[in-house]
Amino acid sequence: MVSFTLLDAGYVVVEARDGVDALANCTAQKVDLFISDLNMPNMDGIQLTRQLRALAPYRFTPIVMLTTESQTEKKMEGKAAGATGWVIKPFQMEQLLNVVKKVCP
Amino acid sequence: MDIAALQLKMREAFRVEATDLLTELDSSMLELESRPQDSDLLNRVFRAIHTIKGSGATAGFNAMAAFTHHVEELFDEARLGQLTITPEMIDLALKAKDLIGQLLETDNPAALEPACARVVAALARFLPRSDKPTVPDQKKSGDTASKNQAHQVFFKPHPQIFFSGTDPINLVDELCTLGTATVTAVVDGVPALENLNPEQCYLAWNVKLLSAHPIGKIKEVFLFVEDESEIRIESQPEPPSHPSAGAGHLSSFLNIASQSLEALEGFLSRIPATAEPDLDWCKNYLRILKTLQSAASHQSLEKLAALLDEQIRILQAVISGQTSFSDHAREILAEGYEKLVAVIQSLSEQRPVSVSQPQTEVASRPEAPTAAVPVKETARAATSIRVDQEKLDRLIRSAGELLVARNAFPVLAKKLALDHGLRPISKEVKDAGDQISRIAEDLQAAVMSIRMMPIRTVFQRFPRMVRDICRAQGKEAELVLEGEDTELDKTVIEQIADPLVHLVRNAADHGIEAPEIREKAGKPRVGKVTLKAYNKENNVVIEIRDDGRGMDRARLKQKAVEKGLLTASAAAALDDRAALELIFLPGLTTAEKVTDISGRGVGMDVVRSNIRQLHGTTTLESKAGFGSVITINLPASLMVSKGILVEAGGEEYVFPMASVVQMVNLPRGQIHCLDGNHFASFRNQVFSVLRLVDHFARVGQRRDMVWPEEVSLAIIQTDEGRIGVAVDRFVGQVEVIVKPMGREFADIAAFQGTTILGDGRIALVINPAGFIGGSDRSNLLAAAGGANK
Repeated sequence: MVSFTLLDAGYVVVEARDGVDALANCTAQKVDLFISDLNMPNMDGIQLTRQLRALAPYRFTPIVMLTTESQTEKKMEGKAAGATGWVIKPFQMEQLLNVVKKVCP
Repeated sequence: MDIAALQLKMREAFRVEATDLLTELDSSMLELESRPQDSDLLNRVFRAIHTIKGSGATAGFNAMAAFTHHVEELFDEARLGQLTITPEMIDLALKAKDLIGQLLETDNPAALEPACARVVAALARFLPRSDKPTVPDQKKSGDTASKNQAHQVFFKPHPQIFFSGTDPINLVDELCTLGTATVTAVVDGVPALENLNPEQCYLAWNVKLLSAHPIGKIKEVFLFVEDESEIRIESQPEPPSHPSAGAGHLSSFLNIASQSLEALEGFLSRIPATAEPDLDWCKNYLRILKTLQSAASHQSLEKLAALLDEQIRILQAVISGQTSFSDHAREILAEGYEKLVAVIQSLSEQRPVSVSQPQTEVASRPEAPTAAVPVKETARAATSIRVDQEKLDRLIRSAGELLVARNAFPVLAKKLALDHGLRPISKEVKDAGDQISRIAEDLQAAVMSIRMMPIRTVFQRFPRMVRDICRAQGKEAELVLEGEDTELDKTVIEQIADPLVHLVRNAADHGIEAPEIREKAGKPRVGKVTLKAYNKENNVVIEIRDDGRGMDRARLKQKAVEKGLLTASAAAALDDRAALELIFLPGLTTAEKVTDISGRGVGMDVVRSNIRQLHGTTTLESKAGFGSVITINLPASLMVSKGILVEAGGEEYVFPMASVVQMVNLPRGQIHCLDGNHFASFRNQVFSVLRLVDHFARVGQRRDMVWPEEVSLAIIQTDEGRIGVAVDRFVGQVEVIVKPMGREFADIAAFQGTTILGDGRIALVINPAGFIGGSDRSNLLAAAGGANK
């Protein structure tokens, strides 16, 4: 759904199954923005953010977290790890697009 | 008309308007350079730029509008006395102007982005504060109904903000989209270069924001950074720029209210019928309601504001997806609207009668105004209208056709008189024909005068050009323009521009010497280039005069010999005049070095041939040390076309190229005779053959119908089909300017008019449409004379 919305809005989307997959996929091509769920198998969003920030090309790249309202603590943790912003689930696709436009105009 | 077509039309119309404005800008900016304090001039420049930006955004030239905004800013500052215009700024502004022109033409504005960015960066240096783009005007004025509130926003990002993937500039930009913003960067924290860590943020921003959005919307901008960055938002009440107090205040509210009601009514007629409504519709409706509510509470009309609450709530619930768009919701909106109408109606009845007029005018506007249009524009629109060139040409063609068609009357009149013996009617037909003829000529003249344009449009570009050349080469020169109102046919205007550009360039670049050299020669430091146009008899003369170094004939000769264009002995034999003519030889340049301005001397021969195409002549006079004059002599009005020059019976005639299908040489055997009429067959087509000489040759020159061994036939297209016209020989292709022959000869339908050949002789231009008529007539005359038909 997320990927479809973004494609529809004119973005090129590279999908990844989890954090590990994302890391493996983002070295071959430069990505302008990451959207990551907080909870993922193998490597979660916070770990992914830390790993990405450690990579030279992605030190300053926007990373948006998808969180639930109850994960406020996690949200702060993500922020500390270097996440740029977040979208609270459940969200309308328009909200997501607004955030994407905000951090990556 | 569908939206896309409308938009295309709007874009086209804007492009035309903008081109004019840009040309005007060119000259007013140059004037500004010499009089930087002239506030009228500054305002004129500012307004032109502002209009380009505003209308451009409306027409969908977004990249152009955004870019123009930066230029506008510069002149806005100057206009407000914040800075003084310097030649460097004009340089930059002219560059920007050129880019705006390119942005208008290009289909790919992104390609120009780097160039634009460079100009924007350069512009920023001149501005006393580092401004960020504000929202294009029309967005703002779309909201005129709402109350703007001033906010002072201070934003100091966390020094490590970049490591959270946030670009603080984006946030400032986002803030600017909320209204009209003035951004000041706080640079106090920026350390010396050697201590500067490029990955750390040292800057802070002060943003003065005039916005109709609630404060929550402003806070929302900083949602992701509010924890670690320093953000202060202070809101102030609306600055007292709006009319306040009493009746005026209420009436302005009523204006807003009536506009809102009108808009609401429009929306209600399209109220979504489904439970899953069109969100855009809801949002728009909500926006109007909110605007009205904030305006109402501003007026302390609490009752009205409360009335809106329910509607706003239900719409918000629908938009957020909490409820569906039920019949109940629809009812609330419809009822709410009725109540609003009633309340506002009663308010307006209490309204004092002494309301000022302009307010009423605003109220009668169907929608909030979009982009501000300067008064000057409307004034100009009243006196002139823009017409598509194609439409004009169609009109000219029709007028021309009418001129040809009227030639039927005399023929008809003679037919009536001679064939049918109806002399009185013949006379009436002839009189009616004369009258139509006269009107047709007037029409033709009037229509042709529409095509006439002052040469100003061409001249206008030269001050800039001469200035640029001088600045680039450290020369000093003044350009004097004379006779800018001299009129020329549009075609000529369009085609004379390039040759003139070349000549003026030459004058400034090669003609005018460097200031030091001029002083040594005892001439004023500042060189002078004069561009002058005037009418002379039926022609227009354009003179390009410079008081520069003049042409060096010896050098010209030497060059010509060097280039192998002339032998040394031939060169030596040339007199002064002929030597000067050498400059028109292809491939000759006399500039000691090739400059990027005048190029490699591809010019003069091309210039002359271009002017020849316009049936003009180019002459050159020059005196070493005193300068040169180039004189161009052009026909003021012309209907240029191509034609085939032929010879028949010792006379020369021109067939308009458009009418000639083919020119062939046929062996005598292919011409057949049947009942005294001649035919030819060619490529399976049979057509009748006439001899040109039989129709037009002077008495005594008529020859017997003896075909030569090879017959030269011009196959021409007439209304009655193709016919072959035999001529003595084809001379060649010529450019013709058809000049009507005047009323005395109007009944000679066989000719369109006359044309002057390259060598000054006059030839008759054959009218293929009248050609057949003419032959009928000669038959008629022959019949009347008792000869065998």
